[in-house]
Amino acid sequence: MKGLLSLVPARWRPLVFGTTSFLAIFVFWEIAVMSGWANVFFFSQPSKIAVAAAAQIANGELPWNLWVSVMEFLAGFGLAAIVGISAAIIAGWFRDVEYVLDPFVWFTYSAPLAAFYPLFVAWLGLGLPTVIAMTFLFAVTPIYANTLAGLRNADPDLLRAARSFGATQSDLFLKVALPASVPLLVAGLRLGVGRALTGVIVAELFGATAGVGYSISYYGQQLQTTNMFVSLLVIVLMGVILTQLLAALEAQTEGWRVDPNG
Amino acid sequence: MTIALDKPVAASASLRERFEKNRRTAISTLSVIVFLLAWQFLPMLGAVDIRLTSTPLRVLKTAMELVPTADFANDLRISGVEFLAGMALAIAVGIPLGLILGTSRTARLFIDPPLMAIYATPRLALLPIIIVWLGIGLASKIAVVFLGAVFYVLINTMAGVTDTDQRLVRAAKSFGATRLDIFIRIILPSALPAVMIGIRLGIGRGVLGVIVGEMFSSEAGLGNKIMTYGEAVRIDHLLVYTLFVSLCGYLMTTGARLIEERLRSWRPQA
Repeated sequence: MKGLLSLVPARWRPLVFGTTSFLAIFVFWEIAVMSGWANVFFFSQPSKIAVAAAAQIANGELPWNLWVSVMEFLAGFGLAAIVGISAAIIAGWFRDVEYVLDPFVWFTYSAPLAAFYPLFVAWLGLGLPTVIAMTFLFAVTPIYANTLAGLRNADPDLLRAARSFGATQSDLFLKVALPASVPLLVAGLRLGVGRALTGVIVAELFGATAGVGYSISYYGQQLQTTNMFVSLLVIVLMGVILTQLLAALEAQTEGWRVDPNG
Repeated sequence: MTIALDKPVAASASLRERFEKNRRTAISTLSVIVFLLAWQFLPMLGAVDIRLTSTPLRVLKTAMELVPTADFANDLRISGVEFLAGMALAIAVGIPLGLILGTSRTARLFIDPPLMAIYATPRLALLPIIIVWLGIGLASKIAVVFLGAVFYVLINTMAGVTDTDQRLVRAAKSFGATRLDIFIRIILPSALPAVMIGIRLGIGRGVLGVIVGEMFSSEAGLGNKIMTYGEAVRIDHLLVYTLFVSLCGYLMTTGARLIEERLRSWRPQA
């Protein structure tokens, strides 16, 4: 194994080994089904999934479902980011606002929020608004909590220094605390992205007329496993791409600041 | 503006802290009371439709009627068994696998990419296919809880192992410790708090898994009732189950957090 490792330059290792292991999974899957060891009805087959995906793309089904889910995601997550960050800024400025919001934040953190889905259906009806509301609800808490933690974690030395040079309260907030909160804010957004995606999928599974989550549930009722896997793989891709994007953003926001210990 | 700048002297600091803490509790409590009052009285004033919001008193009354029934106990038992079985499985698989992956760098190179892909994906998307595989009974819910929780346990265990203080390992080695000694006496105890964090996060996901699984398709359980009463728009019944489930989630997460703090407190700060 050691010899194998040294064949690949360190920089390329994650990419090379990652691709290898995904390929291995698909090859194993294909062979397991082909040899009759795994039942094709339950597990489908990578080659069949590729054909079904091509067909779904050709007839516009997959692009449409993806479009709907992405729009719902962007609406719910965007709303959560706006509300979460503004609420955190207000709570960071007025400590009493934080105390007022605290019990509700605890609650949404520990409650399985999907249990409130029927309530949203009763209020907003089945479909788009409910999906967006669920997405919002899933994502808003980590964004709020992380931004607030970021504001609170401003370096006390910097605050003291700024104050001794005559900074006003609003200077301290805008020029010290707010920039200091950016890395945690972005970490909150990353957590929020994951939860927002869960919110979209769960709400679509339960009741929708379009979207990738809906299509999984639709094909599930018809026991069409191949088409289910097409949507599943699309969701995996969405998850990976979104997480990578936020990880890149996180690296960026970490990069602009000077290491205080360096 | 509330960012504390000047630390006052010790005595008055503790006084101020205590005042701040009392104030915090008072304001938080008041906030909940105002919320409950608004919820109770806004429908009476006709500001919102009572059929869509119910009222806290009505929910309380329904809870007193519902919770003692055998039906409720049965649903709780079913959801509880599904949750505990799935969670136990997640722990039984996640910890050993995390320990193995944490100690082998080569294994990590291969396993990391698919693991991260699954981690970045909402596992609840697998629910319909799990139902196709395992049916609508207990087994599919156990699988959903397992899938929801296992990755948190696994990844945190792995992180706990890789974060082990290498100076301790080197010191033990130079005193002649075998690999097994190092594993049992250094790596295992130092990974424990991280494992507990994984379990705590897994509990939250597990509870969500049971409820979503039962809401999606099942014959019984608390999630099943949530969907049934939701579709019938019986908000008071719906809220009794929803709030009960939330309370369970809260209590279990808090319990896990207490154990976590216990585990951390016995070791000196690094």
